Amino acid sequence: MDVILAAAGDAFTWHALLAIVVGTWAGIIIGGLPGLGSVVGLTIFLPFTFGMDVITSMALLIGVYCGSVYGGSITAILINTPGTPQSAATTFDGYPMTQQGRVDEALGWATFASFFGGVLSCVLLIFCAPQLAKFAVNFGSVEVFALVCLAMLCIVGVSQGSTLKGLVCGMMGFFFSMVGSDPITGADRFTFGNYSLSAGLTLIPVVVGAFALSEVFVRFATRDDEAAKIPEARLRLPGLREIVRRGIELIRGSFIGSFVGALPGTGAAAAAFISYASAQKLSPRRANLGKGEPDGIIASESSNNAVTGSSFIPTLALGIPGDVVTAMMMGAMVIHGITPGVRLMADQAQTVYSLFVVLIIVNVAMLILSKPSIGLFRYLFKLPQGYVMGGIVMFSFIGAVSVRGNPLDLIVMALTGVLAYVLRRGGYPLAPLVIGMVLGPELESSLRRGLLISRGDFFAFFTHSGIASFLFVLIGLFVVWTLWSSFIQWRQHVNARADAVPSSGNRQ
Amino acid sequence: MTSIRTSGGTTRVASLTSLASLVAAALIGTSPSASAADTLDVVVPFAAGGATDIVARSFEPTFSQQLGVTSVVRNVAGASATVGTAEVANSEGNPNIIGYEPAGALTIQPSLKDLPYGPDSFTYICRTVSNPMFLMVSKSSDITSFQQLSDESQEQPFLYGSSGPGTLPHLAMAALTVNSDLKAQHVPYSGSGPAMNALAGNEIQIMADTETILENYDLRPLAVFAEHRVEGYPDVPTMQELGLPEMDFAVWQGVVAPKGISDERAQQYADACKATVESEKFKTFAEKAKAGIAYLGPDDFKAYVEQRVEANKQVLKDAGLTE
Repeated sequence: MDVILAAAGDAFTWHALLAIVVGTWAGIIIGGLPGLGSVVGLTIFLPFTFGMDVITSMALLIGVYCGSVYGGSITAILINTPGTPQSAATTFDGYPMTQQGRVDEALGWATFASFFGGVLSCVLLIFCAPQLAKFAVNFGSVEVFALVCLAMLCIVGVSQGSTLKGLVCGMMGFFFSMVGSDPITGADRFTFGNYSLSAGLTLIPVVVGAFALSEVFVRFATRDDEAAKIPEARLRLPGLREIVRRGIELIRGSFIGSFVGALPGTGAAAAAFISYASAQKLSPRRANLGKGEPDGIIASESSNNAVTGSSFIPTLALGIPGDVVTAMMMGAMVIHGITPGVRLMADQAQTVYSLFVVLIIVNVAMLILSKPSIGLFRYLFKLPQGYVMGGIVMFSFIGAVSVRGNPLDLIVMALTGVLAYVLRRGGYPLAPLVIGMVLGPELESSLRRGLLISRGDFFAFFTHSGIASFLFVLIGLFVVWTLWSSFIQWRQHVNARADAVPSSGNRQ
Repeated sequence: MTSIRTSGGTTRVASLTSLASLVAAALIGTSPSASAADTLDVVVPFAAGGATDIVARSFEPTFSQQLGVTSVVRNVAGASATVGTAEVANSEGNPNIIGYEPAGALTIQPSLKDLPYGPDSFTYICRTVSNPMFLMVSKSSDITSFQQLSDESQEQPFLYGSSGPGTLPHLAMAALTVNSDLKAQHVPYSGSGPAMNALAGNEIQIMADTETILENYDLRPLAVFAEHRVEGYPDVPTMQELGLPEMDFAVWQGVVAPKGISDERAQQYADACKATVESEKFKTFAEKAKAGIAYLGPDDFKAYVEQRVEANKQVLKDAGLTE
């Protein structure tokens, strides 16, 4: 108890609190600007931390991280352009709600779900980190492969209308992710002998091109000022009764996010898609998903923010950074002489506890700062549309190149933007392209590692472990369920048509 | 707090300039100028926050102070660090760019892939740090010696992890399996973290990596890939002591400049590097980060790189990774 009190004392110093406020607010803005995501935000702030003490620097970085994951949802809802890849799934229901004039409600749900997911994952981190870490260690290559297959199923759900078109885009994203170095042999592939392609296509330029740039093209091409008008964004947090009504969605999303975050190398974008896929099967309002249903926003935002807390689980319990972001945090710890690792929890209990306290304050700060941040975006989007769109294009280019400083990414982003515009015009959904890109590398490398481990026997995957068998059975059930429900729908459709023929014009 | 503000202020300017220079560089292409300017580009071929980046960022302030210039760390990541390294190599004659380089990009990748650079593309400045690699197994396993490991691998080959194909952990283990009776197969991961997770879950059984990894996780060292036993690990034998051919694998970092710079500039770099590595500030950092300071001057570093390139080429060939 003394340790916890001392830790809280460390976290409640005025410079730590200032770092939290500055970091969180900057994170929300950076996350909200299309192109600039968590990694860019942290890269900008990392050099600041060199002169600070360890708690203050952690507070700043955690603030930027959590803020940016939430901030991505603002632009996803307002202009159909996820500020970060983690919020791509938020566009599915967020933007339709905006089009229906329910923008305040959408932002409210995104804010509350982010807060809820963040806090719940902190609680899990504090009380169940060792247990969750132990469980996550059981997720070897085969189990991860099964989990990713499960997540891939959500391509079908977000394809809206044409499953075939969705699969085409999904495969395209999958193929994009294969350009570059082979993850197992290291050989270059699909580079056409061009050296600059050997670094591969990364997620950020593709996502920015597919969403932000193509959105700009679409808005200018339609020349429909009324439709292109960005509505005034205000925040209306959901009432208690609403929260209770959708409580189960919040809890499911947060748990999925917390769990996926605890697996090294999976990340918040994947968590959001997995959570959305589960909402498609389990939400009582699933029929409305994709048409402007708050449950969709909840699924996406609660899970991606839950990753922020739980990605510290492997870092703290095992010393293994779960993603790029936690790897950067570990780097910052090393600079301050704290060596992350299995003994971190025992050797540096006070620092670890202050980290927990900081995480919770950051989430509270996020909730408080959401209103002024959205106000700022409202102000920005009031500018003449030419400036807004011009600004989006500029930030897209800056964001694309600043991820890894490779000029190739600029070309990739521009070409993806054009391609995405053509695809949208042809009625192809873009989300599967991003899903393919996010999940493709993990799917491929886990499959191939699994085959190395099972010495080439794919059927051994199904009986590899209890977890693997369970996940594969779940996939089987999902497939059967989807086929069955589309069969029912088809039959209803046929019946309705048969009924509708005599009384013309009355379509279901 | 005032210290935060001042250091924050200057670094913000630095990161803004770096952002601006990034955009400018991307739009107009880097224009090499023949004369030494006041701004030095320090290319780190990994993403910000990684192990190499951390050392580079602690090295850079003292280094630029010694040179009397303003420097900017620029992370150019991708393709096993070769993209950033290629950028340094392509800036032939430019006296305002250096690369803070890892071992793999200089001595493994050129033999493995068709790259726009080779060992001749650089002016070698110095080696800064070097850490020998250990052969290690999980503490939960009952294997306590290399002999036991080798014996138990005869029935069913073990699996060894690495932080990626063509990385040092991969090469060290490939060399070991070629030169000993140990039977083990390679499973690459996307970094040391995921590989450690796999080791904790017993998906793989063996890993070769440095002291940092060894100390941070529950691992047991069986041997060290070095000429002599390592301080702090008196019980861990070298490969030669186990009756195997000499195998020397270390994770090191060094500074290179593009070729074609003036001898005068090269000498300035070399002096600044030596002074930086010997500075108290860098020493304190190295101790904290468990980076073993291992300075080599321009000529020694060049000879060392050439020797490592040849040795690694042989390993890649023996292990069937290249023809």
